Amino acid sequence: MRWVGRSLLSVVPVVVGVVLCVFFLIRIVPGDPAAMILGDQATQASIDALHEQLGLDLPLGTQLWNWLVGVFARGDIGTSLITSQPVAGLVWSRAGITAGLVLLAVGFTVLLAVPLALLAATHAGSWLDQLVRVVPTIGMAMPAFWVGLLLILVFGVNLHWLPVGGVGTGPGEPLRSLVLPAFTVALGMSPPLVRSLREQLLEVLDADFVVTLRAARLPRWRVNSHVLRNAAVPTVSLLGLNIAYLIGGTLVIEKVFAINGMGALLFSSISSRDFPVVQGIALVLALVVVVVSLLTEALVALLDPRIRAA
Amino acid sequence: MTFRTAAARAVAVIFAVFALAACTASPGPSATSSATGPQKGGTIVYGRSAAVTSFDLNNEITANNAFAIDKVFEPLVSFDTEGKIIPWLAEKYTVSPDLLTYTFDLRPDLEFSDGTPVTAADARFSLERHRKVQGPLPLQAPIRSIVATDTHTLTITLKSPYTPFLSELSGFSNGIFPADFGGRTEKDFFAKPIGTGPWVVQAWDPNGDTTFTANPHYWQEGKPYAASLIYKVVSDDTQRIQQLLAGQLAGIEDVAPASLEQLQGNSAVSVAKLGSWAVEQVFFNTQNAHFADRHVRRAIAYAIDREGITKATTFGAAQTVHTLIPPTIQYSADVQALDNDPAAAQRELAASAYPDGFSATLMINSGDSARAQEAQIIQAALKPLHIDVKIEPLELNSFRERFKAFQYDFMINSGQSDAPDPDGLITFQADPDGFSHSFWTHYTNPQVTKLMRQGRTTADGPQREQIYAEIQQILADDVPYIPLYNPDNVVASGASVHGLSPRINGSVLFQDVWVQQ
Amino acid sequence: MTGTATRTVPRPGVRWLRRALRNPTLIAGAVIMLVVLALAVFSPTPYDPFAQDLDHGLDPPSPAHWFGTDQLGRDILSRVVAATGTDLRIAVLAAVVPFVVGLAVGLVSGYAGGWLDWIVGRVVDTFVAFPFYVLVIVVVFAAGTGERGIYVAYALVGWISYARVIRAKTRSLCRQGWVEAAYGGGLSHTRVVGRHLLPNVLPQAVVLLMTEILLIMVAVVTLGYLGLGVQPPTPDWGTMISDGQLFLTTKWWVSTLPGLAVVTTGVGLSLLGDGLADVWRLR
Repeated sequence: MRWVGRSLLSVVPVVVGVVLCVFFLIRIVPGDPAAMILGDQATQASIDALHEQLGLDLPLGTQLWNWLVGVFARGDIGTSLITSQPVAGLVWSRAGITAGLVLLAVGFTVLLAVPLALLAATHAGSWLDQLVRVVPTIGMAMPAFWVGLLLILVFGVNLHWLPVGGVGTGPGEPLRSLVLPAFTVALGMSPPLVRSLREQLLEVLDADFVVTLRAARLPRWRVNSHVLRNAAVPTVSLLGLNIAYLIGGTLVIEKVFAINGMGALLFSSISSRDFPVVQGIALVLALVVVVVSLLTEALVALLDPRIRAA
Repeated sequence: MTFRTAAARAVAVIFAVFALAACTASPGPSATSSATGPQKGGTIVYGRSAAVTSFDLNNEITANNAFAIDKVFEPLVSFDTEGKIIPWLAEKYTVSPDLLTYTFDLRPDLEFSDGTPVTAADARFSLERHRKVQGPLPLQAPIRSIVATDTHTLTITLKSPYTPFLSELSGFSNGIFPADFGGRTEKDFFAKPIGTGPWVVQAWDPNGDTTFTANPHYWQEGKPYAASLIYKVVSDDTQRIQQLLAGQLAGIEDVAPASLEQLQGNSAVSVAKLGSWAVEQVFFNTQNAHFADRHVRRAIAYAIDREGITKATTFGAAQTVHTLIPPTIQYSADVQALDNDPAAAQRELAASAYPDGFSATLMINSGDSARAQEAQIIQAALKPLHIDVKIEPLELNSFRERFKAFQYDFMINSGQSDAPDPDGLITFQADPDGFSHSFWTHYTNPQVTKLMRQGRTTADGPQREQIYAEIQQILADDVPYIPLYNPDNVVASGASVHGLSPRINGSVLFQDVWVQQ
Repeated sequence: MTGTATRTVPRPGVRWLRRALRNPTLIAGAVIMLVVLALAVFSPTPYDPFAQDLDHGLDPPSPAHWFGTDQLGRDILSRVVAATGTDLRIAVLAAVVPFVVGLAVGLVSGYAGGWLDWIVGRVVDTFVAFPFYVLVIVVVFAAGTGERGIYVAYALVGWISYARVIRAKTRSLCRQGWVEAAYGGGLSHTRVVGRHLLPNVLPQAVVLLMTEILLIMVAVVTLGYLGLGVQPPTPDWGTMISDGQLFLTTKWWVSTLPGLAVVTTGVGLSLLGDGLADVWRLR
């Protein structure tokens, strides 16, 4: 399991990079964060006070050191300017609902993308394949929030099938509330996935063993089940590659559906200029992406013996 | 072949999608016919724009808190739909001929929500605490003493006549609570408050929803009808409407005027639209160099077309006004206001210290679609004056923090009376030494302050009317704020909810609302 | 030397053009984008897109106003056309710096290899970890809403996807031997990269550029919808959709027509990218 060590080794610099990146992101951007938070009418005294509160009056090196020590030694990623609560706690309190939404969205994405890609790949060149290839072209051109609005109109407001916003309470309600938003995320996520997966599946279909299976006149469904099993590897690795994209999309969709998750926290923090919370959310999400990527790599390695051997 | 199929399908898909969007105007299931009378039980889920952050009635002012506080605490007197003072916890009240002594007789079987009887001592304690705390809506009356004459009689003596006294007492901030906070600390008491109101706080998240249950000891026999009431925070007005239409909310407040047509065309929803005590206004921070200049403020007043703003953003749910006292409140005057005269606007600006214009930020709260449009109209209206307006939408709490710290140039906000007398609004908007420093404009005019004091002691009648007319004319000429319109209070409810309509102050008496089971 | 050049860089010319003209996807994409570009550049608006007429708000489509008017009585067709200029300009401008930087980083790190490549790899990994919208939103937050924030955000993060793809492509080219041969034949590094590697990876980068412009345009519209992008009164499809959201069922034209403009432009860019990939045989 040499790759385990190698992967972990490559993760360390990325984690450090993420933490540094979050630190510098706010500071290299032109303009004074304190002035941005307090507005044009802020008095010098209130700007100075905020500088002190945020530690922006210290030398850059000291600021960086404090930030690194806070993050790595104490798990402290800052304190909200508005509620004075630790950012980590705020993020954690919203993480559950967002995680649920992301997982459901991944589920829907797989249910949407894999059959479509399979259909296209097994009927390569036919009108079916053409159709499946057109859908992503249009799908990518449609902003996800717009798709969400249409789904709200059709399924919620008109047909009354599903909740259109917020998260309900009661048995099964939270899950029902997440169906439409998760489906919206999945619709946005599927087009690039269908496209890549179709191409990878075509390679599998051309592979020697499929040709052999076909030559052995195995029933079509048995050939397909082999192909499907082999499709698992690219699916997982593509999902891993796109997890950051998916999480970002989820946050925007939370806003459309008024779901009180990390996206809602991000947008309300932005409109209340609560900079430590914004920074904290960016950090936490990036770290989540790093971990998820590592896990998917591991999963791919387990599924695909070729990588383990390499 | 590839292209034709591809393109044809692309076009088909696009149009299918838009056809879906276009033909979704059909209403939901039709409203069920109402049963004979009110039914008991059930839950009312009410969508509101902001969370309840505190139940400390003496220290709060904003609608998000006021309309939760008034569910738990009730004042001695209240007001009816016309704004006339009516008995409430006091069964009757008398005023001495010299207008100095007020006697209140409490209802005999009045109990707090924990079952303990309400006495005059509780009322005395509550009002004394308010006098001590002051707060944003202080008791301005020159009170000499508050005495519990017996268990059920409260006598308040004034040093000098004070006309708006009963009006002042009818505000939510003069609700009655147990003496000594029922033996608890203040902090503990307001975390789990006890009052005489129809509802009891069961669960409360200062960043989110509030759940009330019916007060079994409520003095209005048989009420509240519903078993529980949930205030659900949905800050975005579009989302509130969508959730109402989808049946997730039983009712919503602050209905965006833009959606009125859609809601009124939907038989599954009923809309209640009634007059209000609010006035939408543009407020100037007169501590800002540009807006300290009277000519600049007057130029802007001339530049703005109030009629146009009302028409474009309120869809018939508001009346254009030219004064801060809405027509629903006594002594609202017919002032000569500066309005919609671009040439005069140019002249005024030319006379100011900034004849070539300047840049300024117009602050609004985010999530309010009407205000966002108003801001764009103002932005366009000031362009010919070379006043370059940047619009800054802020989350409601930050918005409030910002203007309370005077960290803004100018803003759109709403002045709202909590009681039927004009003194409340004038004090709040024109008293530089009051809690709100002239609604955070810091507008200071000794003449207005003098008249304001006179208005409080002058008995109702033509003389008092003259005082308020004069104040309003001065404010219209000085323009510390530009009153735009008096919006109606609009609430909407789903088919199964009956009796949901707003009071004139925007609150809803939920004890009268019932749910079809 | 001249011989090498002829072999590795075949004259594009006639053959390419013939192939392009036979590719319907490319032609469809090009036609749509030509129209959209013409609208963006010449901005033939029938009315002043900023002019309000408060007495004629929310008028339905009519001969006078083909797309109707919005809440403030502004002509929606004029605003949709003007927004084409805004949104497409931002998308294209925001794509330029990342394209150049990403291409350069990808070429150099792929060609040089070694520790330089390792560092670039880790930097890429770091940026890739940030969810796209989160990173853009944070930067826009810090740099201020509006166009400036968007440019800064893309200058910071946009180069990643080019660097990734171009680096991989460069590596595989370098392994084919002729690069080493060229260097061994006395060419400088600059010349090998500039004259030989660049033309070979450029098509890939251009196809990616089309996708990126599409993604940026969608992101600009999304930011506008969220209130973090183009600020009013500048016309922008996202804010127009958001403004019309309350009228979605009663005044369909306010949100729907700007939405249609987004989708049409997006499909155009998408087809153009697909078409170019086909013609260059990149798939």
